[in-house]
Amino acid sequence: MEIGLLIQTIANSIAAGSIYAVIAVGLAMAFGVMKMANFAHGEFFMCGAYVVYVFYALLGWPFPAAVLMSIPIVGAMGVVTERLIFRPTRSNVLAGFMATAGLAFVLQVLVGQMWGVGLMRSVPTPYMGAADIAGAKIGWQRVLVIPAAIVMLSALWFFLYRVKHGKALRACAQDPDTARLQGIGINRMTMLAMGISGASAGLAGALLAPIHPVTPYMGHGVILTAFIVVVMGGMESIAGAVLAAILLGFVHTFVTTLSDAVTAQMVGVACMAAVLVVRPQGLLGRVKA
Amino acid sequence: MLKLDDVVVHYGTVAAVKGISFEVDENEIVTLIGSNGAGKTTTLAAITGLHQPSTGTISFEGDRIDHLAPEKINALGIAMVPEGRRVFPQMTVLENMEMGAYLRTNAARIRHDMEEIYHHFPILKERRSQLAGTMSGGQQQMVAMARALMSGPKLLLLDEPSLGLSPIMTQEIAKIIRDLHREHGRTIVLVEQNARMALQLADHAFVMETGKIAFGGKADDLRHDAKIQETYLGV
Ligand SMILES: Nc1ncnc2c1ncn2[C@@H]1O[C@H](COP(=O)(O)OP(=O)(O)OP(=O)(O)O)[C@@H](O)[C@H]1O
Ligand SMILES: [Mg+2]
Repeated sequence: MEIGLLIQTIANSIAAGSIYAVIAVGLAMAFGVMKMANFAHGEFFMCGAYVVYVFYALLGWPFPAAVLMSIPIVGAMGVVTERLIFRPTRSNVLAGFMATAGLAFVLQVLVGQMWGVGLMRSVPTPYMGAADIAGAKIGWQRVLVIPAAIVMLSALWFFLYRVKHGKALRACAQDPDTARLQGIGINRMTMLAMGISGASAGLAGALLAPIHPVTPYMGHGVILTAFIVVVMGGMESIAGAVLAAILLGFVHTFVTTLSDAVTAQMVGVACMAAVLVVRPQGLLGRVKA
Repeated sequence: MLKLDDVVVHYGTVAAVKGISFEVDENEIVTLIGSNGAGKTTTLAAITGLHQPSTGTISFEGDRIDHLAPEKINALGIAMVPEGRRVFPQMTVLENMEMGAYLRTNAARIRHDMEEIYHHFPILKERRSQLAGTMSGGQQQMVAMARALMSGPKLLLLDEPSLGLSPIMTQEIAKIIRDLHREHGRTIVLVEQNARMALQLADHAFVMETGKIAFGGKADDLRHDAKIQETYLGV
């Protein structure tokens, strides 16, 4: 591999890893607090991309404003999902699975009805041109994802480790009954977790909208990767999800560059399997007592 | 202060607590003793709201609290030190204590109470940045007690604080319970299998057997009762 291509591939790996991280921390967070897997998480990502499509491409808002809109809009979708789907099915794993998988289809159909199924919605690239790093060209739009992910993950870290309600969220994930005994309202915490979860997936979709085909089905590709990342990282571990996301970002990007995207997916799954053989609890997961 | 009246608690169709009644007055230590599976933890779960009773009433300071959620019951001034400690393992000692004060807003009073609690558990001040899950059983017991005290409770429930601890550590925990009671007049419900320790600390005691209260009375009287000595004190 020549040096220019190598640098470009590394930069693309970091960009991919950043996006995986933003998507996966949301999934890990929802799983940690509710012990339920949200199969509609990819559709939250898709909705984030449509927020940018509507506000930026259709309504002509500035791109950053359109991206920021994805946070409250998709975050609110997460909160509504918690209230209408997760809470009633909390005690029943299968019902929860069916309900979130069903929600995924509903969101696909709704978005398809409103903005069409066949043609891809193209979102013009707001930041044209490319950064030139040692002869390698990397599109600004792709580079932009990296600081955005760092800001989002730092904000989340600050909330979880420095703010009382964030700490309470961690307490709920570690031991919900004992958290309730401290006066922590479990329903408020699950709503908060789903709000953050939706917001993070939506933000990822919003950032990618200009460089990713925007269709009602764009969540499919993402959800598999997100689950691989979360399982590899240790299910509930936010730090583990970030670590696994970076790793998978490198694996996917390098294998895609050297071979093709399908092989990359397979190698990614193989990496997850290898991690689980060596550490069944995931990279940073903890063994349940 | 706390009153249980004919409380029945089921797990599915099986009754684990079969109609128990007792009262706890302000400033006293009441102990519930009894062997494995007698229903002690289940009784505390009914009081804290984690497992609601099927029939019977529980009242605290004159108001019914059965059918309230645990977070509401904590807000009324009942704090629980759960069986097996149940510290938040991935949180520091300090964060565990902060969670105990989750519903309180007066920062100055919280800080004041924290210093007072550190006075009872000096090691926790030293170890405040350590992850609670990495501590020894006795230290985790202290974290769980400190966390409960951080809510500034009117009533403290302790579920087998001596479980799994060395005799020396058990004595230390017993001393702290006695100090909490003497210095601050705390009202405490102490659940124990270690009947010797419990009867020494308590004012009143109730003996539970298979979901019922077999007998109860002044702790001193029970301590000298021939049948109790034989069954629970191994004399
Ligand atoms: N979650 C549960 N589901 C079903 N049955 C339970 C559950 N928890 C406890 N039990 C049963 O209820 C009865 C009372 O249990 P409980 O834990 O209240 O006893 P305990 O007096 O606290 O015992 P120990 O001293 O061992 O802690 C036991 O027969 C137990 O098997
Ligand atoms: Mg018990």
